Amino acid sequence: MELSNIEKLLEKYFEGETTISEEKELKVYFTRETVPSHLERYKDLFQYFSEESTIKATKDLKLNTSRKFTYAWIGVAASVALIAGIFLTRTAPSKSVDTFEDPEIALQETKKILNMVSQYMNEGKQELVYLKEFENTKNKFIK
Amino acid sequence: MKERAFITLTNGFKDKLFRLAKRLLVSNEEAEDATQEVLLKLWKNKGKMAGYKNVEAFAMTMTKNYCFDKLKAKETANLKIVHSNYKDERPSLQRQVEAKDSLDWVGKILNDLPEQQRMIIQLRDIEQYDNAEIAEMLKINETAVRVALSRGRKKIREELLKKHNYGIV
Repeated sequence: MELSNIEKLLEKYFEGETTISEEKELKVYFTRETVPSHLERYKDLFQYFSEESTIKATKDLKLNTSRKFTYAWIGVAASVALIAGIFLTRTAPSKSVDTFEDPEIALQETKKILNMVSQYMNEGKQELVYLKEFENTKNKFIK
Repeated sequence: MKERAFITLTNGFKDKLFRLAKRLLVSNEEAEDATQEVLLKLWKNKGKMAGYKNVEAFAMTMTKNYCFDKLKAKETANLKIVHSNYKDERPSLQRQVEAKDSLDWVGKILNDLPEQQRMIIQLRDIEQYDNAEIAEMLKINETAVRVALSRGRKKIREELLKKHNYGIV
């Protein structure tokens, strides 16, 4: 293409008035080996443009919807566990089983055990007498 | 819509999304993440996809919005995006290195432009969308696109001239 024509196109280009096809012409012109020296500086520009348009994204697209699914499944698993839990505890037998035939013996056995418990309680409580010493000492200092 | 059909559809413009994101966020990794996020969002709303006039333009708008959100978050968090994409990774001759280096200057100049101009130049000069499409993607009118385009290009020319004359930018 003629030099004067190129210069005219360049002028239009910088005014933003070139069409896409005119810009393509410019690109083709400036990616050639030899360009007149006063236009040399535009060579970089158009070369840069054509080089940039070849850059490609390297990562492959991953539509990992699987993560969403695992979250959904966690919910399902939790509700199943909850429902199962409720039913299992409801159906479990909670009635106490009789171990004595005669209520009189049962009463006595119960009394015996309660006595034993209170006896141990009292034995343990005797040791607590020493706590009074703290109180006494404190009263000595603080009146 | 099936997963495969979605992937084939988006593969047509996935790289464009990536390049736009990279233009705005600069870092490669951030741009990859942005692309993933946008496509995932699109996939989640696939039911509405038939209602979109132009899925590609819609995805571009989403990318722009996503990147702006990211940039805003960075600003408030007082963080700078760290990028090291300027180096040449290919083993090459001195000449090639020099050539690449001067192309990197263009990239640097471009990335110093205001976001709006940067995006418009990316969409027009690199992706070759026409002004009407860009106006739709960015939700601005066509005149604004043309003005921003011209301003951005002139700014680049100015900077290139400076570099050409003094060897610095």
